[in-house]
Amino acid sequence: MIVIGGGPGGYTAALYAARAGLDVIVLEKLSAGGQMALTELIDNYPGFPDGIDGFTLGENMQRQAERFGVKTELAEVLSVQLDGKIKEIMTSDGVYYGKTVVYSTGANPRELGIASEKEYVGRGVNYCAACDGMFYKGKTVVVVGGGNSAAADALLLSKIAKKVIIVHRRDNLRATKVYHEPLMNAENVEFRWNNTVSELLHDNKISGVRIKDVVSGKESVIECDGVFISIGRIPVTGIVKGQLELTPDGYILSDESTKTNIPGVFAVGDVRTKVLRQIVTAVADGAVAAHYAEEYLANVQAD
Amino acid sequence: MAAVNINNQQFQNLIKEDKPVLVDYWAPWCGYCRRIGPAYEKVAEQYGEDIVVAKVNIDEEPMLAQQERIEVIPTLVLYHHGKAIGSIVAPESKARIDAFISESLGK
Repeated sequence: MIVIGGGPGGYTAALYAARAGLDVIVLEKLSAGGQMALTELIDNYPGFPDGIDGFTLGENMQRQAERFGVKTELAEVLSVQLDGKIKEIMTSDGVYYGKTVVYSTGANPRELGIASEKEYVGRGVNYCAACDGMFYKGKTVVVVGGGNSAAADALLLSKIAKKVIIVHRRDNLRATKVYHEPLMNAENVEFRWNNTVSELLHDNKISGVRIKDVVSGKESVIECDGVFISIGRIPVTGIVKGQLELTPDGYILSDESTKTNIPGVFAVGDVRTKVLRQIVTAVADGAVAAHYAEEYLANVQAD
Repeated sequence: MAAVNINNQQFQNLIKEDKPVLVDYWAPWCGYCRRIGPAYEKVAEQYGEDIVVAKVNIDEEPMLAQQERIEVIPTLVLYHHGKAIGSIVAPESKARIDAFISESLGK
């Protein structure tokens, strides 16, 4: 089995498959953990009553899988050939062949794409209110975006922060109605409609944002302690396009079985269509994928 | 060979040598620095024969970081014959670090 992407879903699939007797290799481009590796404190993964930092949790999952013989290669996958009984995975460090593939590359938060954004992650730039909101108790934060996740983030932050300012490029929320009323009624939530963030202001951490009115072109500055960027996610599916069926948003079309349109190829975690993208749901996918991978291999061998 | 933490004095001596020196400017509080850690150790293992693979903790060596104009971390700088021949900020993969090293040395 070849697992592409060493996040929680990938390493759980690897752990279960290795314990079931399969040879498993995990291809990871940087380090274990995926998105959660950048989360300072994870409080919604059960079993850690005092929370755990995402990087350590990722390394632990890697070590646990490796205890049962899983191998990890730090290689970047460049292209894949998923058809046929033997799947070919072309990487920066050579070609790998596998009978089954677990695709667990995850999703990245959509970035604003402006200067200083990447460098100030963890120093005022955030992509997950549920993860990092607690650091802003009694402080002022800006939420960028107007969809469901931005509205949910703003609502959550309004209960923690002193003040929440929503910056949205349109003149109303795209979010479902359930969010509208509580946000409009919250005393510490303000809106800056028709505005986009043009610059992140900082010394050694974020100190404010410069915003630009898309109608008048007028610029203004908001002082704040942090920015939550909530403008959607991009699943990492570029290299499977044309082979695996994707939704218009780029997610791999699948369900709780994690099966894809190609037999022997499974989609696990944030990269597939699903209701809730969390560590717990990703690890659940991993176990299910290993189960169906075993079943698939048994059937292939019986043929 | 593991990546070695060096101080300003060691840095000044090392970059004068014939062997290129790769430096990862990092700090303990930097989340992304931690993320590139395993890939950087792998780089140290693979390139150790030809390149000195080192790390500078900018909290311990603020003067050096300032002198080398390190404004964001993690920044990787490759030095050869006493001067910087290339740098990369927050590489997204080990493959990107590999490419950076070969591009810089190929110049």
